[in-house]
Amino acid sequence: MKEINYLSASNTEDALSLLSGFGENAKIIAGGTDILVRLKDNVIKEDTLIDISGVRELKGIYEDKDIIHILPLTTHTDIIESPVICKHLPILRDAVKSIGSPQIRNRGTIGGNIANASPAGDSIPALYVLSAYVRVKSREKERMVSINEFYKGPGQTVLDSNEMIVDIVIPHMKEQEIGFFRKVGQRNAISIAIANVAVKLEVSGENRFSNASVAFGALAPTVLRAKLIENALLNEVCDSPEKLLYISKLSEREVSPITDIRGSASYRIEMSTNILYEGLLLMFLKGWKR
Amino acid sequence: MKEKTNYIGHKVNRLDAIEKVTGEIKYMSDLYFPDMLYGKILRSKYPHALIRRIETSKAKAVEGVHAVITWEDVPGFNGFGIATPDQPVLSKDHIRYIGEAVAAVAAKSEEIAEKACALIEVEYEELPIVDNPIDALKENAPKIHENGNLCLHTEIKRGNIEKGFQESALIVENTYYTGRQEHAFLETEGGVAHIDTDGTLVIQVGSQYPQRDQLQLARCLGINPQKIRVISYPVGGAFGGKDELTIQPILALLTLKTGKPVKMVLSREESIISYWKRHPFIMHYKTGIDKEGKIVAQEVKIYEDKGAYSSLGGPVLNLAVEHACGPYRVENVHIDGYAAFTNNGVCGAFRGFGVPQVTFAMETQMDIISEKLGIDPIRLRKINALQKGDTTPIGNKLTTSVGTLKVLESIEECNLWKRRNELSTQDPKKPWIKRGVGLALTYQGTGLGVGLPDYGGAKLELREDGGFTVKIGTVDYGQGILTAYAQIVAETMRCPIEKVKVTLGDTALTADCGPTSASRGVYTGGKASIIAAEEMIQLMKNVAAPLLQASADFIDYDNGFMFLKGEPLRKVSYKEIANKFIDDGKPLPETEGYFLMPIADIEIKNAFGLPHHIFAFSAHVAYVEVNTLTGETRVLQGAEAVDGGVVINKQGYEGQVEGGFVMGLGYALMEDVIIDRGQFKNVNFSTYIIPTVKDTPFHIESIPVINPEDTGPFKAKGIAETVMVATAPAITNAIYRATGTRLYRIPATPEYVYKRLKEVENEKAHKGH
Repeated sequence: MKEINYLSASNTEDALSLLSGFGENAKIIAGGTDILVRLKDNVIKEDTLIDISGVRELKGIYEDKDIIHILPLTTHTDIIESPVICKHLPILRDAVKSIGSPQIRNRGTIGGNIANASPAGDSIPALYVLSAYVRVKSREKERMVSINEFYKGPGQTVLDSNEMIVDIVIPHMKEQEIGFFRKVGQRNAISIAIANVAVKLEVSGENRFSNASVAFGALAPTVLRAKLIENALLNEVCDSPEKLLYISKLSEREVSPITDIRGSASYRIEMSTNILYEGLLLMFLKGWKR
Repeated sequence: MKEKTNYIGHKVNRLDAIEKVTGEIKYMSDLYFPDMLYGKILRSKYPHALIRRIETSKAKAVEGVHAVITWEDVPGFNGFGIATPDQPVLSKDHIRYIGEAVAAVAAKSEEIAEKACALIEVEYEELPIVDNPIDALKENAPKIHENGNLCLHTEIKRGNIEKGFQESALIVENTYYTGRQEHAFLETEGGVAHIDTDGTLVIQVGSQYPQRDQLQLARCLGINPQKIRVISYPVGGAFGGKDELTIQPILALLTLKTGKPVKMVLSREESIISYWKRHPFIMHYKTGIDKEGKIVAQEVKIYEDKGAYSSLGGPVLNLAVEHACGPYRVENVHIDGYAAFTNNGVCGAFRGFGVPQVTFAMETQMDIISEKLGIDPIRLRKINALQKGDTTPIGNKLTTSVGTLKVLESIEECNLWKRRNELSTQDPKKPWIKRGVGLALTYQGTGLGVGLPDYGGAKLELREDGGFTVKIGTVDYGQGILTAYAQIVAETMRCPIEKVKVTLGDTALTADCGPTSASRGVYTGGKASIIAAEEMIQLMKNVAAPLLQASADFIDYDNGFMFLKGEPLRKVSYKEIANKFIDDGKPLPETEGYFLMPIADIEIKNAFGLPHHIFAFSAHVAYVEVNTLTGETRVLQGAEAVDGGVVINKQGYEGQVEGGFVMGLGYALMEDVIIDRGQFKNVNFSTYIIPTVKDTPFHIESIPVINPEDTGPFKAKGIAETVMVATAPAITNAIYRATGTRLYRIPATPEYVYKRLKEVENEKAHKGH
């Protein structure tokens, strides 16, 4: 393990000024569940860590009318235990519940999961379908970025070296909105996704939807929105398992996975179809109700 | 033995539980010495290569470096290996796997040692790689060892195999594959070596057999074994992975070279790359059965992926050959086993020792036969079950306790099996989730077998406080022998268990009891303890006699007292007896118990270690659900009926059953160290997948089958291995019951299960057209 400078920020301004001072040589550490592993593996190129875990103002969940703000240092456990999230963002709750183990969820943060930019990050597809925005800030400026536009590639985001995430903004799910998160992994816990999917549908009539969002993870260099599937769900009457399977099979045209130690590309493609189909089928069997 | 026992067969809490739970116990990896150095090993970059040059001067020049050693610094024989010492301590010229040790550094800190390692220049010439055991045995394969790639060939023929197949009503023929399982013990290879004030080299590294480590180290170091002390307990898990030497010789060399204590603890990654795994097998099975379901003939061909060096690969192959036909009567057999060297890391001892592999194949064969002939799985096994007095498939007569029928009868009565038909259904709300119950049977030899020195040893000391200390060379690596030994001594000496202390795994203090392996710990150490205790009783009676003014023959003992038979009030305590020794100016007595393991009636030429004489038996049941959309399998419940003779500690028994079942579950569904062209692909627990608590069944029923073995301590046998061995085929057979899809390969990962589900679906569709 290489030697590394460690700096601790006590508030947001402090963190931003350290960040602007060190620029590309610094990396932010929050829960450390990804960084410490990478540090041990000697794959961290930066030589300074800026620890923001003590910045209290960046932790917490609050509602502003029908908008939910999740501050970046909120841990996965905080999210799972939040009644607000449970009520208004159940898809996010299910996604976060599938992350790592209790120990990892106690340390790991939502901001970290977003910034780490793993194509297999479990919270990210949920944030995609929930139309989340990420508020990022540098000493000079502040901007809102749609989660859909946040990623450039595996491990790569639109964040500049002097910017950090300060808020995650998500609208409430509407009453007629339903959805799910599903992941297939190598085991039932501490499992990195072979494929995952998040779905949000706005029910507008019998087996019909006025809005459909589908996002896949671990199936392309970044999490991706499945536009063909979304269009099909919007335009078709989803009144039979056969129809749902037919729509789910469109995933073959949406994903471009790789073969790695966890699974082959061909298995991943089939899983993109089948986990989507399984989730849609379960909702269909429940009469498209929450 | 008294009819009513105080400790044997009871639930006794582990004596080491508190110190382990609180973290008070000091494992070898926890030890610190003043002025201690840190060791680091430089390992080969290539899986197969020649070393052209090693240059250490830059590494030696680093400040804080005390020693840099290479093969030139090995004073004795540069090789180790329990069966054949063909693995270099430090490689001289020929690299055979990627984790092979080339050089080592001792420095003031781990960081300096690491830095120095990186400065050692090694010039390699890469050689072509051998990456599977079948290719390894081809004529034109690159030679890994001078004598070629065949580590061992063992062939057993009995009866008339051709005639047997001619007489068969059904022949089932399949090829099976098993994975490369990692022991995944909590404590990686670690410890400290130092030189004692009297010049003794002390090695403190957790291992399974201190006396053998001592001899192997003496040979490498070229010094008198008496000048080496090996302390091998406590151990943070082993499962066979610490039977062979690991870091000990390098640690010893660094200490001898520097004169200072040297510590080394491997990272998980280094541990996985560098040392032993379970051997992957490729097995061709051909089984002939008559109309009644009797196995008439069986032909088995085994290819064992040995990896680069021998270690215990030969004996593993032989145990697989012995158990290849399962605990069944088979008159016509041809078993042909090959252990072949490859550049796939190194494999060695691992719980089950070759038997989990062949049991997966054999028990899948049995399940296929049961279905094809329409004979209930338990009835099919009963028809063929080996019984006392029978001759085993390899030709020895079974004269010890045989529990095949008993475990089958017990498992037949368990709830899971009785309800198997109602449980084997699809989820009504999610019809793509299918459930099934599967069964498998196995047996496992206790002890090392014919042709290998196999014995038990124990020393027993009477302490001043009237308690006893039993000193045995085996180790407790979690299986619970420390508590079992204390129970056996307390029961035999008829004293409270709190009065018994147990010292394990120390060449300076403990009796040589052979390796802690082969399900033999309780049997050997327990029996030796009884022998030592019986002698102790006699010695104490002799001292008690004058105190009680009676002849020793009229003295009885119980509850820490010796007393006159029929007059329990005329008594002396064990403490008073101990004090009498002291008052008389005599040393407190220490007795020793030794015995040789009973062995089988025949010897098998060219198959050392075969046959075994004493066997444990177990029947395993698994209840699974399979998501046919993804191939994900969950094991919902499990049950095992195990004949390990008389159970010594009920709590230990349950722990072994549960732990064994879960280890078997990992073997069945997820565990496999993947090596591609000699390179390891999953070297830590983020990619090498083992079961978490969320993958383990909600309930594992342990059903003790008490089948006394007259030769054993309190009629016990050993269960440590059999409890994991049949779990994998129980699970894969359950997957078949659930889905109608047969699996020929473990681990049955979601991807493999899904692939097979689709293959079978396509076959059916094809047939339908």
